[in-house]
Amino acid sequence: MSEFTIAELMVCRIAAEMEERGVTVLGSFTPLAYASYMLAKRTHTPDAYMIGYNALGMPPVELAFMGAEAAAYKASTARWGFLAAVNVVHLANRGNVEAVSSAQIDGSGSINLSVIGDYAKPKVRLPGGIGAPEVVQNYRTMLAYFGRHDRRVLTEKVDFATGGRWPIDPRERAQRGLQDGPTKIITPMCVLIRDSPEPFRIESLHGGATVDEVIASTGFELVVPADTPPQTPAPTPEQLSLLRSEIDPFGTIQFDFMSGRERVDYLAEVIEREWQRAVDALDDRGSA
Amino acid sequence: MPQKIVPLDDLGDLVPDGATVALGGAWFCNHPMAAVRQLIRARRRDLHLITLIGSIDADLLLAAGAVGRLTFSMVTLEAFGLAPNFRRQVESGQLPITELTGLSMEAGLEAAGRNMPFMPFPGLGNPVTSALVDQNPHIYSYVSDPFGGEDVLVVKAIRPDIAIVHALRADRHGNAQFDGTYGMDDELAKSAKVVIVTCEEIVPTDVIAENPHMTKIPAFLVDHVIEAPFGAHPTSHIPRYTIDGPVLQEYAKVVTAGGEDQAAYLEQLASESEEGYRTRVLPERRREILLELVRQGRVLAGATS
Repeated sequence: MSEFTIAELMVCRIAAEMEERGVTVLGSFTPLAYASYMLAKRTHTPDAYMIGYNALGMPPVELAFMGAEAAAYKASTARWGFLAAVNVVHLANRGNVEAVSSAQIDGSGSINLSVIGDYAKPKVRLPGGIGAPEVVQNYRTMLAYFGRHDRRVLTEKVDFATGGRWPIDPRERAQRGLQDGPTKIITPMCVLIRDSPEPFRIESLHGGATVDEVIASTGFELVVPADTPPQTPAPTPEQLSLLRSEIDPFGTIQFDFMSGRERVDYLAEVIEREWQRAVDALDDRGSA
Repeated sequence: MPQKIVPLDDLGDLVPDGATVALGGAWFCNHPMAAVRQLIRARRRDLHLITLIGSIDADLLLAAGAVGRLTFSMVTLEAFGLAPNFRRQVESGQLPITELTGLSMEAGLEAAGRNMPFMPFPGLGNPVTSALVDQNPHIYSYVSDPFGGEDVLVVKAIRPDIAIVHALRADRHGNAQFDGTYGMDDELAKSAKVVIVTCEEIVPTDVIAENPHMTKIPAFLVDHVIEAPFGAHPTSHIPRYTIDGPVLQEYAKVVTAGGEDQAAYLEQLASESEEGYRTRVLPERRREILLELVRQGRVLAGATS
């Protein structure tokens, strides 16, 4: 099982950021990140503390489009309202990993979930950021992932800064009582990292991507590496097996790489498969 | 003790045109959809809608022309894409909005619940990292720290006239219980002047007292109780039913098309009763499947925390 998709590689790379300290919160519609958290819980960080919906201490669950929410409550160990949970996690230095995704990011680490174009008269009104501004400012590491790597997404300057991270320098962050981890961007080409006033640099390259391709596809300045960056580790057979057979049998991690008509059609199939599984289970029970 | 139980049909009388209304739930989970449908039947206009994470609830009210102003942190149809009516009305400039970061919006609602004029909110750093602060000077400002630190960002109290949330069950006093997702429904109930609880079923107080830890909204906060079975459908109400994927898919298709398709969809909703909606959309077999989808939700092997 040496073949893998770029989505699977990105899942494994985000999973590697998980630790058994602090808290991971399931953010808004970040399917690839959800798979990463479940994978980490099933492999190297079984005791990582996870919050999803109003379920605290939630177990790893199958990422069924309809059933995942119900599963989250089945073996969780507490219930809290949003205000209780996010204040003490997001705002009080207990946030470990929550990967965000947005329409744009720039070299300052600002993310845009609000508008394409002018704020008052936007070309595209985006959903809004919910907790992403607080997450990227306050979590140990700022993690942002994207289903595309081009100059429209990794752009010179975001049309609107819904959120961002400041300061960047670990010592300055520590002086202000903030967690001192870096900012990382995970794309289908590479991992970018920034932990100083210097621009982002390439931490690792995926598969066949080259430094020149990354620079050409990035709208903001990067540090040009003296040597070729290392390769992002490939998923292991165990990781791939867990992802495909247990965590994401319906293939929800593909949502991040699709838009428009393609995603609508794909989603219809995902819904149909899960619906049919429930119908079959009902029929089995009826005939038993 | 005033009579708190009212029929859903009376909701329109409790929510006047122009009211500031906060809706509970989050994402596709536990929005008070029976109430949303009833507001459309009552042909409410010019509501100031407050939603932390709105989806079909907000988009449907926008589609029906019920909303004159929107305060929000996120409105999305998630995997189905951007919310079409939200998009259209903001992009055309017709809908005035106040967009807040998620936690500062929660802090503003919390402030109202405690009768505070504003809440300090240092969570966006100093200088702040979100352009939403400068965009909304009517709701964000700064105060000097009386104890000698740096100036602190504050968010103004957000006080809805009315909060509507959907519970698993409630008694005639308004004690409202939840088992699955309730978002920040408990905080909305603290922040609003009038609180309306819709619920899957009204039960005797004895039943509430069997599981008092499930009461997230106590009776003294609640003004009206409305029984509305499947009152969150097609969003979820765990543990009774999951989100209804095919029905949401149909909604997304219709409102993306807009125009006559959307108008016909709205007219259907407006012209039938809630019981009529349940009969049309939720035949017995579909109810069984939605419950089976809850049962099928799978916990993977491995330790819990």
